[in-house]
Amino acid sequence: MAIPHSKPALIVGGGISGITTAVEIAEVGKEVVLIEQKPYLGGNVIKMNNYFPKLCPPACGLEINFRRIRQNTRIKYYTLTTLLEISGEKDNFSVKLRSAPQYVKDNCTACGKCVYVCPEERPDELNYDLTKTKAIYFPHEMAFPAKFSIDDRYCKKGSCNKCVEVCEYDAIDLSAKEEVFFLEVSSVVFATGWKNYDAGLIDNLHYSDFKNVVTNVEFERLIASNGPGRDNLIRPSDNKVPKDIVFVQCAGSRDENYLPYCSAVCCPASLKHALSIQEKYPDSRIKIFYIDLRVSGRNEDFLNKVEENRNIELIKGKVAKIEEVGDTKNLIVEAEDILSGKKIKHEADLVVLATGIVPSDATLNLNKDQNGFLTEIQKEGIHAVSCCKKPMDVSSSVKDATAAALKAIQLTG
Amino acid sequence: MIDINPDIEFKKEVKRLSNSSLNECMQCGTCSVVCSLAPDDSPFPRKEMIWAGWGMKERLLVNTDIWLCHQCGDCSTHCPRDVKPADVFSAIRQITYRHYASPKFLNTILSKPIWLPVAILLPVIVILSILFLAGTLEIPEGTVNYSKFFPHAWLNGSFGIITVIIYCFAISGLIKFRNDLKARYHDAKAQKGFYRRFMTTSNEIVLHSKFSTCSAQKSRKISHLLVFYGFILLLIVTGFAIIATLTHNYPFKFTNPVKIMGNVAGLMLVTGLGIMIINRLFNKINYGNSNYSDWLLIISFFLLVISGGIVELARFMNWYYAYHLYFFHLVCVWFVIFYLPYSKLGHMLYRTIAIGFAKAIDRK
Repeated sequence: MAIPHSKPALIVGGGISGITTAVEIAEVGKEVVLIEQKPYLGGNVIKMNNYFPKLCPPACGLEINFRRIRQNTRIKYYTLTTLLEISGEKDNFSVKLRSAPQYVKDNCTACGKCVYVCPEERPDELNYDLTKTKAIYFPHEMAFPAKFSIDDRYCKKGSCNKCVEVCEYDAIDLSAKEEVFFLEVSSVVFATGWKNYDAGLIDNLHYSDFKNVVTNVEFERLIASNGPGRDNLIRPSDNKVPKDIVFVQCAGSRDENYLPYCSAVCCPASLKHALSIQEKYPDSRIKIFYIDLRVSGRNEDFLNKVEENRNIELIKGKVAKIEEVGDTKNLIVEAEDILSGKKIKHEADLVVLATGIVPSDATLNLNKDQNGFLTEIQKEGIHAVSCCKKPMDVSSSVKDATAAALKAIQLTG
Repeated sequence: MIDINPDIEFKKEVKRLSNSSLNECMQCGTCSVVCSLAPDDSPFPRKEMIWAGWGMKERLLVNTDIWLCHQCGDCSTHCPRDVKPADVFSAIRQITYRHYASPKFLNTILSKPIWLPVAILLPVIVILSILFLAGTLEIPEGTVNYSKFFPHAWLNGSFGIITVIIYCFAISGLIKFRNDLKARYHDAKAQKGFYRRFMTTSNEIVLHSKFSTCSAQKSRKISHLLVFYGFILLLIVTGFAIIATLTHNYPFKFTNPVKIMGNVAGLMLVTGLGIMIINRLFNKINYGNSNYSDWLLIISFFLLVISGGIVELARFMNWYYAYHLYFFHLVCVWFVIFYLPYSKLGHMLYRTIAIGFAKAIDRK
């Protein structure tokens, strides 16, 4: 009996969920194609300082996953690649993909000589534009694939050509063109993930007006040892170490004017941040203003740990007003302390807005719920997984991704 | 321990009048923070929202904070759950003057649209009866002279008696309200003498200073000032007119200073009420939910002023329908002046008492 040629499964999105789905499928012996629109795999978790509740860094888990990808010939991955169209039925989809110009070829050794000669700069998306890199850049320390990338919004291409001249390996081709190609796949898994809610929309919290009001995802970078301050936590206005930090829970979340639902990860994330700050700066003072602290399961022990810390104060009451102090750029946050029935006006060095999870922008016309999340079953053979489907923490996303792998395998013959 | 004795009917009435889904309030306190009038110590309206959700009628009816709110709507605009605290406060104020005003049947006929015909029939029947007793229940011949239709003595006498009766009831309600406030806040010591309390309260009312601290648009303060002073001015003009019917040849000429004052007041009221109507119709985000009581007052007031102007014009133009219009105008007068303690205009009385009391216990 002839074994029918088995078509691969297509995974859209190379974050932790997409990677997990891909390796789980490949490790049972099936073919997988993984596409990612950024130049590197790892998605949002690569930007995290650490995970709750264990406060461990995401690097080790990612490292293992990258090795699983490298060692498995059944996984083909395309970075800088997006999905344009899907046609056909389950087991027999035809997908149209577009790869952005690959200016840096695979023979790049990441020697870094190009960076020194590059005259142009770009805002570093990895650090939420808080810092800059050269137009040719290495995405981050453990970037996979480990090669440089060129941001063509800032690169002057042939009129400059300096990186091409300096590259000893002839790995740069500034005339590279985008490629559109087709694949036959058995199933499609959307793991397009999330971004944080646009805090600039919340008018009374002045995220766009005051420099020292940052979002929780920006804070991940600010406190990370490979972030803008390197080993120090710094605040944007003067690069000084903030000692009095306020966390504003439900910044835009559970709010009919902005984001009507609860993302459930922002509470444990802020507890995590508070403990990370305390670890680094034991004399810092932290206040977390909340409506309800939504921490369930094993995260409740985590909450107990926070409550034991005398420098972390948990205050029931939502911050609804933030004012900036003219010369110091400190911030005065105002809330009603519900338990005492008194208004609190507190001056802080840094304010962190715990913004919620919204689904990433989808390029295709997919089925969505009222909040823009993808519905789990798009049609037979096309599934959505993890954060593009609903807000989840990393461990739930990984479990969901494993489940999605099984569904995809069932269709790969 | 807080003893909660929920009054479900009260809660239902608050919900009906405010159109608020009270129980969706999650007690985040956004409203208390964005409110520019709320004091730092036990600010409103967050605590009132949970009391309303629990049906704690006594706490809400006998409450200074309900009246410190000037309905700018900042809380409703920022409320994450869209539970409209401003409209809830407005509803509680309505329930408060209904609770204290008597006789109760006047409350009833003004509370729902279904009773509107009765609310109209009452003044129609009473005025017709007075005209019958005066023996003038017919359209007079010749040039228009309203005193031929409703002799001055009968008008001033009958409306004067009704005013005295209605406002005796109103004052007894106000005294009861103030006594209840005293009992509720018996722990709070009087901080200021009567004179200073009186001055600060009247200052606040005369200048409308609390209106300016609300961040809602300016037109709210302007329209309320226009209506407030237009109304006061018209009351003064009416007082002059009553005296003039005894001492002078009434009606005044068009150029008489009192007449000019009256017409200016009328214009102020039309402008102010016009702005209010437009805002309530087209600016629902800042003005919140307009319920039956809001519209009943604003429309009857508007008709009072418009009909007053037309009645004046009808006299000069010698219109045949002048007397019909005059009758309509008198019904409008009844709606605004005699229904005052039972309608939304009752806030003039109850708010003054509550603000004065708040000053006394130093609640800012």
